[in-house]
Amino acid sequence: MAVGRYVTDLDKGDVLGPLDYTMSRFVVREYCHANELHQDCFQNEVRFAPPTLVHLDKLRLYKHACPAGTGPTARVHYEYDATIHAPIPVGVPLRVKGTVTERYEKKGRQYVVMEIDLRTAKDDQPLITYRDTVILAYKQGAAS
Amino acid sequence: MKPAVGTQFRLAPRMMTRERMRWYVDIQETVQQDTGRIVTQPPTIHDDDAYAKKQGLPGIISDGMVSTNWILGLLVDVFGADAASKGRLRTKYIAPIYEDDVVVACAKIASALDNEHGETVYGVEVWCEDGTGKKLTVGDATIHTRAH
Repeated sequence: MAVGRYVTDLDKGDVLGPLDYTMSRFVVREYCHANELHQDCFQNEVRFAPPTLVHLDKLRLYKHACPAGTGPTARVHYEYDATIHAPIPVGVPLRVKGTVTERYEKKGRQYVVMEIDLRTAKDDQPLITYRDTVILAYKQGAAS
Repeated sequence: MKPAVGTQFRLAPRMMTRERMRWYVDIQETVQQDTGRIVTQPPTIHDDDAYAKKQGLPGIISDGMVSTNWILGLLVDVFGADAASKGRLRTKYIAPIYEDDVVVACAKIASALDNEHGETVYGVEVWCEDGTGKKLTVGDATIHTRAH
């Protein structure tokens, strides 16, 4: 297992979390403002979060499981793939867990795939299954 | 009115400015700490030229999630809140987006099928392109809509 130090150490089979938190209206509005999502459902009577906010659950899990930080090289996000089972509710305790499902090399670069499962903490209702792919270093061979 | 298969939607072109890149950087710690204030973080490849160059990049690049969120915004404009409620969105970042590049979020209805739950399920091709039509981000979405 490669959790406990840098993100660049992560390897297949690593489990990050689970972590519990509650989505606030402030978070939804600020995230949507930062991304120019000015639609009514994201700025006024906010009842649910945009599914894309699950991307920041990755950083939440990294911070918890890799306390030493990013590591010697900066990550580059390569693919976002989220299946939405139900809207992410505001004001309800949530539970998120990440599992590293793949780490491989392609054209001299290291790729890491993490599957993130977001659900309600109380009744275990699945909300989002998110498959996140990152390149661990832009420079070829830098993170191998 | 239901959008027909083949219909294409496009947002107005936007420049990927330094400010837009930084907004996504600043939101990361802000979301995690959830204190009601903006919380900044150490330099990243999205907001610090020297750090980006040290990582082998020619300059700062946009976080791919900015493009993904612009695509999501287009889908919400077309389908309403259903676009964020049930289905799937997949985006792959096939070319870097640098400071002041022009980005256009686009979507094209690929399929529309009614299911046994009273929903219409749309398959949508999504992408972002630059000012010349070169694709920067590609992907697809599945959206379940209900009659409102």
